[in-house]
Amino acid sequence: MSGIISLAHITLKEGIRNRALFGIFILALLMFAATIALVNLFMRDIVKVAVDLSLSTISFAGLLMVVFIGTSLLAKDIDKRTIYMVISRPVSRTQYVIGKYLGLCFLVVVAVLLLGIVSSLPVYISSIMYKNPQAVFSWKIYFIAIVFIALKLMLIASVIVFFSSITSTSFISLVLTIAAYLIGSTNETVKGILDSKMEGVEITPPMAFIIKGVYYVFPNLSAFDLKLQAAHGLALAEGYLLSVPLYWLLYTGIMITAGSLIMERREFP
Amino acid sequence: MPLIELNNVSKVFKKEFSRKEVHALNALTLHAHEGEIFGFLGPNGAGKSTAIKLMMNLIRPSTGGISIAGRDASDSGVRRIIGYLPENPYFYDHLSAKELLHFGGKSCNMDNDAIETRTTALLHELDLTESIKRPLRAYSKGMIQRAGLALALIHDPRILIFDEPMSGLDPMGRKKVFNLILRLREEGKTVFFSSHILHDIERLCDRAAILINGTLTRLLDVKEDLPKEKTLEDVFFEEVEKTGGLRE
Repeated sequence: MSGIISLAHITLKEGIRNRALFGIFILALLMFAATIALVNLFMRDIVKVAVDLSLSTISFAGLLMVVFIGTSLLAKDIDKRTIYMVISRPVSRTQYVIGKYLGLCFLVVVAVLLLGIVSSLPVYISSIMYKNPQAVFSWKIYFIAIVFIALKLMLIASVIVFFSSITSTSFISLVLTIAAYLIGSTNETVKGILDSKMEGVEITPPMAFIIKGVYYVFPNLSAFDLKLQAAHGLALAEGYLLSVPLYWLLYTGIMITAGSLIMERREFP
Repeated sequence: MPLIELNNVSKVFKKEFSRKEVHALNALTLHAHEGEIFGFLGPNGAGKSTAIKLMMNLIRPSTGGISIAGRDASDSGVRRIIGYLPENPYFYDHLSAKELLHFGGKSCNMDNDAIETRTTALLHELDLTESIKRPLRAYSKGMIQRAGLALALIHDPRILIFDEPMSGLDPMGRKKVFNLILRLREEGKTVFFSSHILHDIERLCDRAAILINGTLTRLLDVKEDLPKEKTLEDVFFEEVEKTGGLRE
């Protein structure tokens, strides 16, 4: 256990000290500042726009962080053989995978917490400056949406762990993760089109089979997107609040287990 | 009972996208005993690093078995008594030597006080005290090598496995490592190391093995088996000539 914790600890330290992280945070700060400056260009629903832009900024900055720093922390370990310094200690390959993943999760939590606090500022300023008695906004839903973004980023981190266990170069791992993200962000929409049987849209049975396969194999990232609900203050069903974290737990568990099994069999010549 | 045992170990690498096979080790049998300094020599590409990686379970044997202190090399728990220095070590860029050693100690369940004491002593011995808080990416090649040695030693292991510990070191650094191995011998540790510096192996080691093209060609007691008026270097070149040099 101490091996897992100490590995997670140094992974977090490596991540926090990565210069790319500062760049991503500066970009996020500029986007938050732009949110304050731009919302008054909208005639109505200014708080909704501020909420939407702030959550998008957290999601985008978090995605850049987890994809670029995550692949550099994991795949580079194998690429540059820094993995030797860990697995030559009394740390099993499975403990290595879990420790690395936990370190990435700590990094996501720290980053999203910081971004979440900073993002409340443009939302708060817009709600004070442009008071609208008809606007329905709930801080509770806003913070739940931020927690869901953190879950989404941790799920992407588990995908990075999996791809890093099957590839030998950080570049391939990066490309595969970006592909999985793009598919995961759109697969629900594509399946929606398939299920709705829209007129004029003809989908052959093999194509329908492929779409369903992709839908179940790749993560459904749109399930973690609560921007609409947060912007409009829409109530969240209890079942939804439970099922999404359960889906996260299941998908992440599969990715980490698969990554560990592959790493246990892998050789590092 | 030998502390390190390689019994009839072979390793075959299969090239990706081709049927070509590379026989890196052929039926290697080697035993290193408690308290022994064992030198492992051979030309580049002879299979020394492959044998060491097999001992560390970084790769697995195609045939044969490896045990360390009576336990299978694949048992991660056995690495609690091993300190390993890879050839050309590479560490996390943003960590300092102190943080690296803290990780090394924690991964072996050491308490913070013991880690602190060992870190101070080792970094002093390896002349890294002044760079204790500098990130490892700012270290020179020799400093990285010495930080790697400190990491291998932090948990005071019974067995030390070093892959080319003198590589990249200046004469002062080499002397430090030389003295370190002498100290480890006095403490009764078992040291297994590969090197191209035959003079150092001759002065330091109790026994040495010569590996050429993945095959053990000679195993000798350095103090007793060396023919009179011949150095280890002479014996090594004779062995290389006998086998017709290194394969392509």
